[in-house]
Amino acid sequence: MKTPELNRRQFLEALSAAGFGAFVLSASNGWSLDSVSNPLAVYPDRGWEKVYRDLWKYDSKFCFTCAPNDTHNCILNAYVRSGVVTRIGPSMKYGEAEGLHGNKATHRWDPRVCQKGLALTRRFYGDRRLRHCMVRAGWKKWVDAGFPRDEHGKPPIEYFNRGRDEWIRVTHTEAAALVASALTNIATTYTGEKGKAKLTAQGYDPETIEATGGVGTQVMKFRGGMPLLGMTRVFGMYRLANSIALLDAKIRGVGPDKAVGGRGFDNYSWHTDLPPGHPMVTGQQTVEFDLHAVEHARTVVIWGMNWITTKMPDAHWLTEARLKGTKVVVIACEYSATSTKADNAIIVRPGTTPALALGLSHVIFKEKLWDREYVERWTDMPLLVRMDNLKMLRAKDVFGGELATLTNQTTVLGKDDKPGPAGKHKNMMMTDVLRKEWGDFVWWDATANVPRPISRDQVGEKSPVKNPKLDGAVEVTLANGQKVRCRPSFDLMREYTDHFDPKTTEELTWAPAKAVEDLARWIAQVPGTTLFGIGMGPNQFFNNDNKDRGIFLLASLTGNVGRLTGNVGSYAGNYRTAMFNGAPFYINENPFDIELDETKMSRPKQYWKAESAHYYNHEDHPLKVGNRMLTGKSHMPCPTKSMWFANANSILGNVKWHYNTVVNVLPKIEMIAVNEWWWSTSCEWADVVFAVDSWAELKHPDITASVTNPFLCTFPRTPLKRIFETIGDIEVFATVGEALAKKTGDKRFADMWKFVRENKTSVYIQRILDNSANAKGYKIEELEAKAAEGIPAIMENRTNPKSVGYEQVTDSRPWYTKSGRLEFYREEDEFIEAGENLPVHREPIDSTFYEPNVIVAPKMEVFREHGPEKYGVSRDDLSCDTRQGRNVVKTWAETKITHHPLAKDGYKFVFHTPKYRHGAHTMPIDTDMVAILFGPFGDVYRHDKRSPFVAEGYVDINPDDAKELGVEDGDYVWIDSDPSDRPFKGWQKNKKDYEFARLICRARYYPGTPRGVTRMWFNMYGATPGSVEGRKTRADGLAKNPRTNYQAMFRSGSHQSATRGWLKPTLMTDSLVRKEMFGQEMKKGFMPDVHCPTGSPRESIVKITKAEPGGIGAQGLWRPAALGVRPSYESKEMKAYLAGEFVDGKPGAGSGLGSNDNQKPGAGSGSGSGSGADAGKKVS
Amino acid sequence: MARVNNWQIGREMSYWYPESRPQKQFAAIFDVNKCIACQTCTLACKTTWTSGKGQEYMLWNNVESKPYGFYPLAWDVNILSKLGPQTWNGNKYEGQTIFESAPAGERVLGWRPEEIDYAHPNVGEDDCAGARIENGASLAVPHMSWFYYLARICNHCTYPACLASCPRGSIYKRPEDGIVLVDQGRCRGYQECVRACPYKKVFYNPMTGTSEKCIACFPKMEQGLQPQCFVNCIGKIRMAGYISTPDKASPENPIDYLVHVRKVALPLFPQFGLEPNVYYIPPVHAPKSYLLQLFGPGVFDAIKTYESAKDDADLAGLLGLFGCSEQVMPRWKRMNDSVIGMDESGKEIVRVPLREPMHVRDAFDTKYDVQRTNCP
Repeated sequence: MKTPELNRRQFLEALSAAGFGAFVLSASNGWSLDSVSNPLAVYPDRGWEKVYRDLWKYDSKFCFTCAPNDTHNCILNAYVRSGVVTRIGPSMKYGEAEGLHGNKATHRWDPRVCQKGLALTRRFYGDRRLRHCMVRAGWKKWVDAGFPRDEHGKPPIEYFNRGRDEWIRVTHTEAAALVASALTNIATTYTGEKGKAKLTAQGYDPETIEATGGVGTQVMKFRGGMPLLGMTRVFGMYRLANSIALLDAKIRGVGPDKAVGGRGFDNYSWHTDLPPGHPMVTGQQTVEFDLHAVEHARTVVIWGMNWITTKMPDAHWLTEARLKGTKVVVIACEYSATSTKADNAIIVRPGTTPALALGLSHVIFKEKLWDREYVERWTDMPLLVRMDNLKMLRAKDVFGGELATLTNQTTVLGKDDKPGPAGKHKNMMMTDVLRKEWGDFVWWDATANVPRPISRDQVGEKSPVKNPKLDGAVEVTLANGQKVRCRPSFDLMREYTDHFDPKTTEELTWAPAKAVEDLARWIAQVPGTTLFGIGMGPNQFFNNDNKDRGIFLLASLTGNVGRLTGNVGSYAGNYRTAMFNGAPFYINENPFDIELDETKMSRPKQYWKAESAHYYNHEDHPLKVGNRMLTGKSHMPCPTKSMWFANANSILGNVKWHYNTVVNVLPKIEMIAVNEWWWSTSCEWADVVFAVDSWAELKHPDITASVTNPFLCTFPRTPLKRIFETIGDIEVFATVGEALAKKTGDKRFADMWKFVRENKTSVYIQRILDNSANAKGYKIEELEAKAAEGIPAIMENRTNPKSVGYEQVTDSRPWYTKSGRLEFYREEDEFIEAGENLPVHREPIDSTFYEPNVIVAPKMEVFREHGPEKYGVSRDDLSCDTRQGRNVVKTWAETKITHHPLAKDGYKFVFHTPKYRHGAHTMPIDTDMVAILFGPFGDVYRHDKRSPFVAEGYVDINPDDAKELGVEDGDYVWIDSDPSDRPFKGWQKNKKDYEFARLICRARYYPGTPRGVTRMWFNMYGATPGSVEGRKTRADGLAKNPRTNYQAMFRSGSHQSATRGWLKPTLMTDSLVRKEMFGQEMKKGFMPDVHCPTGSPRESIVKITKAEPGGIGAQGLWRPAALGVRPSYESKEMKAYLAGEFVDGKPGAGSGLGSNDNQKPGAGSGSGSGSGADAGKKVS
Repeated sequence: MARVNNWQIGREMSYWYPESRPQKQFAAIFDVNKCIACQTCTLACKTTWTSGKGQEYMLWNNVESKPYGFYPLAWDVNILSKLGPQTWNGNKYEGQTIFESAPAGERVLGWRPEEIDYAHPNVGEDDCAGARIENGASLAVPHMSWFYYLARICNHCTYPACLASCPRGSIYKRPEDGIVLVDQGRCRGYQECVRACPYKKVFYNPMTGTSEKCIACFPKMEQGLQPQCFVNCIGKIRMAGYISTPDKASPENPIDYLVHVRKVALPLFPQFGLEPNVYYIPPVHAPKSYLLQLFGPGVFDAIKTYESAKDDADLAGLLGLFGCSEQVMPRWKRMNDSVIGMDESGKEIVRVPLREPMHVRDAFDTKYDVQRTNCP
C-alpha cells in the first residue's frame, strides 16, 4: 500500500468516507508541530482520545442465544448503536446460573463465546442474508401450470433446472400457498394403487413402495435439523409432519384411526454424530459426560477428538485439568491442535480405532489387569454363549421353569398396559412379549463348578456372580438332555484380542507397540479414573460401531463406564432431545384432537413416521447386495418426492456424496423447500426458500440444552427490529398451516399453530417443560427473563457433571439391554451373519491402503459370517455397492499383503474431512473476518484472483508425499476419488455438471500428517453451477453466484466431492434391543438417532494431481514458500530461527542454562539444526 | 540517546528518550499452554476497532501458530536476522538491543513489511516443526514434533520503539496507565513506527493516511474493565492489570505475583530492549533452545514452575481465575479451595473454586414430583 499524500482536508474526507465520522468530529484540530520533549512523560493535547471513547459507546444492549449445533449454546450480548448491532460479546453471566434447588454454576464457565459468534454481525447484515422469500422460477411455473405430469407421474424436466434457474421474490403467504399446493398435489399423486404404480414406473425399489402402504403423505420428508437446538422452532417441522395426517385423512377419506402423517428425517444419526455401537453395548442412545468432569479424572484419553478446535469454550477445562495434574493422552491421525496440549500424543492410521481398542484390551487380558468386580457385576463377559448356534445360553433351556420376576427398577407391560408419558417414567419397561423373547441367562460358577441362572435384574450390587468361569469352554447339559459346548463371552473376547498383540497392533494402527502397552497398563492401574473422550474422527468411518464396541470393552475392563471420573463420551453433534422428553406433548399433539385451551395439556398421538435420511443419500435405495436385502423392515424408507427442512444445510448442501445427490437424485424430487436466513448451498438447489429470522431477531422464545455442559439455555425474544422481511421458523409453519387449511378446508391445519399466531408460543414450551423429567419445575417466563439478562438455567440431570451410566453403577440399575449388562457379544442373526457377533476390526470401507472392509480375524469357531457367495455375488466383487455387505475374514498377515483395488491406478491417499475451529455446523467459514484466518491461504485483498473467496479450501499433505507427486506447497491440485461413482455417477458423459463437481484446491505442506494421509477441513461452501458461472463471468473473479450472491470457497467441487453414501448392515437390524428415544421403555429395531445408518464421510481414497503452480497468476512458487518460511522450504535464517540459534545462553546463577533440557528440536536425530534438516526423520 | 534501566535484560541500555515510567503500567499475562488459537480475541478486537475501510488487513490482536506462523510474514525471523546472533549471560543480556544496533542516523534497527506480507494472517496455522511425522508416533513432553499458539497484541512497552522512532512526536505513553497511543490527529503517516516496532504491531491505514495500533481498549481500562481480547478469551489464557517494577512487586497483585514472585511469565523477545509488558507463560512442550530465543533465560525455571502447579494451589488457583470476570482484578488471594479476585480496596469481585464442584441430585425430586435421570 502506498502512502497517499493527503492534506488535512483530504484526510478528513477520507475518514468520513471510511465511516469514521466519529473520528472527524472529535479529533483535535490540526495543531502545529509542537515539539514534544519526551512523549514517555508528557503529551500536550490528548483531547483526540475521545474518538476511541466514542467508538466504544453503544446505545443499548440485549441478549440472544447462538446455537449452531456445536453444543455450546452461548447466550451473547449484542451491542446496538443507531438501531444496528455493531458488535457482540459474552454475557459473562453463566456464573450466575442456578438450578431449581439452588445448585449453582461458577464464573469459571465464563466467558462463553467464539469468533464465529462475534462475526455474526457480518451475517445479520451480510449480502447473503435472506431478505425475503424466494421461489425458483421454473418450479413456480410448474405449480402455476397445475402440476403437469407424464403418464408415470413425472413432471416435465423443463421445470426442474435447479441450480441454474432464475429466482422470483414472493411474500411468505405466497410461498406458503405454493408449498401447500405442492404438498397436496404430491400426496394425492402418490396415494393408492395408482400412486404405487407411478412409483413403480419411476423405478423405485418395490420394498420402499410397499413401505408407503399406498399413503401419499409417506413420500414427503420433513426435517427440523438438530431439533434440540430449538424445541419449538426447529422441532416444529415434526409437529407439521404430524399434522399432515389431516391431509391423508382428506385424500384417502380415512378417519383418525387410519390416517398417516408425513415422514421425518433423522438428525444425530444423519450427521454421523451417533456412535452406533453405544446402543449395541448399552441399549440406549449414547454414553457421555459433561466436559468439565475432566477436572476430577486422573487420566483423559482424547481419542479422535480435536477438542480444542471443536469444543472451544470448554477447552479450558482440559488445559486447567492438565495444569492440576490430570494426565492428557491424545490419540489422533495427525499431530493435531489438541496434540499440542497432550502429555502423550499418539499418532495412528485413520480408521483403525477398533483395532487399537482391541490391542489395548489385549494387554489387559494378557497381563490380567482387568477390574474383576466391574467385569463380574456390570458386563456380559461371565455369561455363556452356545457354540452350536452362537446364541446366548438361556436359563430356561438349562434349568426349565419360569422366567425370573423382574423387580429391579423394571416393569413388564402386559398387553393392555401403556407405558405412559416419558417424563413420568421411573422403571424401565418392556412388553411381556419381549421379556419372554429375551429370557434369562447363565453363568458358570467356577467354585461349585455348576451353571447358574441370572436375570437382567442381577447387576451391580445385586449381582450374584462370584468367581465365574471366564476362560475356556464348558459342556452344559440342557434340560432336554442335550449337551452343548459353551464359552463365556469373556473367553471369546480374550481369544479374539490375542490376534491384536502389540506388534500386530503397531503394524495395523501405526501406534507404537510400547505406547499401546504403556497406555493400557496406565489406565488399568487405577480403575474408574479415566475419561475417554471419543470424537467425530473415528465415528466417521464405516467401522464406527465396531469402534464403540471395542472402546467399551477396554473401558469396561478398566471400570470406566458410568462413573463420574471414569466414563466413555462421544462428542459429535448435539443430541439427547430426551432431556426434554416432554417433547411429544408438542410435536405429537394429536391433529384430530387439538387442545386450544392454554391452561390444559395436549394429548399426543404420533401420526408421522421416522426415516433415516441415509437412504435418500444412497440414491433413494435401501441396501441390497446380490439376492439379499440388508435393510431391515423396521428401517425401510419410502421414495422421496418432497423435502422440506429447517435449520441446517447438512441435508442437501453438505450432504455426503453431494454431487451425486444434486445430479442424480434431486431430479426425482418434486419439491425442495428450505427455511433459511443465510443463502446456503441448500438454497442454491431448492425450489422455495422461506426467509426466517436470525437468532438476533427472534420474536418467539425457545429452549435448548447440551450434552457437553449442564445448562438449559433459553432463546429470549429480542428487542431488535427485524432487519429484513423475515418471520420466525415457527411462523413459517403457522403460515403454511393456514395455507393448508385454506387449500383443504380443514381449519385444524391452522389450529395447530394457534398460540404462535397469538404470540403465545410459550404455551407450547411450557407443555414441554412440564412433562420433561429433567426440566420439570422451570417456568418459561422466568427462564426467558433470566436469559434476557444473559443467565442460563441448569438442567436438572441426575448429576452435574452429567455422566450417563451413573444410575446403572450407583443404583445398580440394569442397562437397557436384554441381559441388563453391558453387552459385548451380539447374538442376533444380523450380527452373526455379518461376522460381527464379537466387536471386530473391519478395515475402512474406502480409506485404507489394504483390501477394504475386510474383517481382520483369525479362524475362530465363533465366526460364521455369510460370505459373498451366500448373497450370490463374487468374492472378487469389490465394487462400492457390493462392498457394503461384504463379509470376508482375513488374518492381519493375509490382510497386510492386500491392496486397495484402486491403488494400482494411483489412488493412494486417505482423504479425511474433520471439522475445525473456523466453522461450526450451520456457520461455515464464509464470513470474511473469520475466513481470512482460515488456514494459510486467507487473503482479504485476494492478491491471487484465482482465489474463489478471501480464503479457500485446501488439502493438507505430507511434504514428502507432495514432492513425490511434483506438487509444491501452495499449488492447486485436482483431487479425484473412485471414478465409478464420484463425484457423481455418469460424470464421464456429463461435462456440464462435472465442471462444478470436480474438486480443485490448494495443497498445503503439512508435516504433522503421516505419509498417505491427507486432510481437508469441513465447513466450507462447495461449488455450484452459479458459483462457477460467477468465477468465469464476474470482473472480480469471485466464485459467487451472480443471481443469488452464494459464495463458494472452492473454484470447483468441495470436500464432499470425494465422499459417497454408505450403508452398514449392522446398523439396519430389526432385532437390536434399545431404549426408545424418550423415556424408559425398551423395544427393538429401527429408532431414528439411536439405531439406524450413520454414513461414513471420512471414507475416501483419492488420487492427487498437480493442476497449477501456486504463485500469483499461476507463476512459480507460492510466495511464502519462495521466501523460505514454509516447511521444507526453510531459508538459512528460518533454519537458524527454528533451532534457536539467534541467541546463545551462557549459564548464570539459577538460570538452568546448560542443563540437559536445553534440547534442540528433533533431539536424538543428532542434527539439531531444525526442521529442514530433520525432514524425513521418523518420530517414534 | 539516553541511558535507561531495563530490568528485563538486567542492565542499562540506550534509548532515544530519558527513562520516565508511568504512575501505573498496563500489563498482561498470556498463558500459552491454554491458548487454543480460536481467534475469538482477534475477532473481538476487529469487530470493535478495525472494521472500517483501510483496516481490512489490520489485526491489532492476532494469534499465530509458532514456529511457521507470522503476521506479518517472517516478522520475527527478519528482525532476529538483522540483529544477528546475540548472547545472554545468566539473566544479563550481553547482546545488542535494537536501539543499540540502530544504523548510523537512525533511532532503531528496523524494517518495513511490504503490503503483501500481511496477506496471509494465519499462514502456518497448525504447521508443525521438529521431526516429521512418517506414520505412527508417540510423543512425550517435550514433543519431538511441535507447534504452539502465540497470541499477540501491542506490548505497550516501557521503551516503545514506535514512540522513539516517530519524527513528529505523535506517539506517546499515557502517564496514568502506560498505554502507548498513536495520536490520530497528529500522525502524518510517515510509517517510521511501522518500521521500528520489532513486533510489527503498528499498522498503516491507507484510507486515513495514519498509523494505528492497539489501544489496550483504554476506554474500558479507564472504567476498570479488561480489554476486549481479554474478556472474549475463551481459552481463559489472559489477565490484564498493572505491573510494578521488580523492586516494588506485590504478591497480592496477580501480575506481579506471576512475573516477579513466581517468575512463571516472561516477556517476548526481551533482547530487543523494549521492556514489553505482555508476559507469556511459555509452552511446556516446545523445545527449550527455541523458547530461550523468544522468552529469554527465565524460560527454564518458568516451565519447571508451571509444571509444578499440580502441587501448588496458589499458582493453579490464580491461573484458574483468568477470564472469570470482565473487571480488572488488581488484587487476589486464595482461601482454601477458592480463589478470589478483588479490587484495589480488597472488595471481592469474583470468587471461584479450584475445581468445579460435583453435584448429585436425589433420584426422585419430591418437590416437583419427578424422577431426575442422566438417561431420560
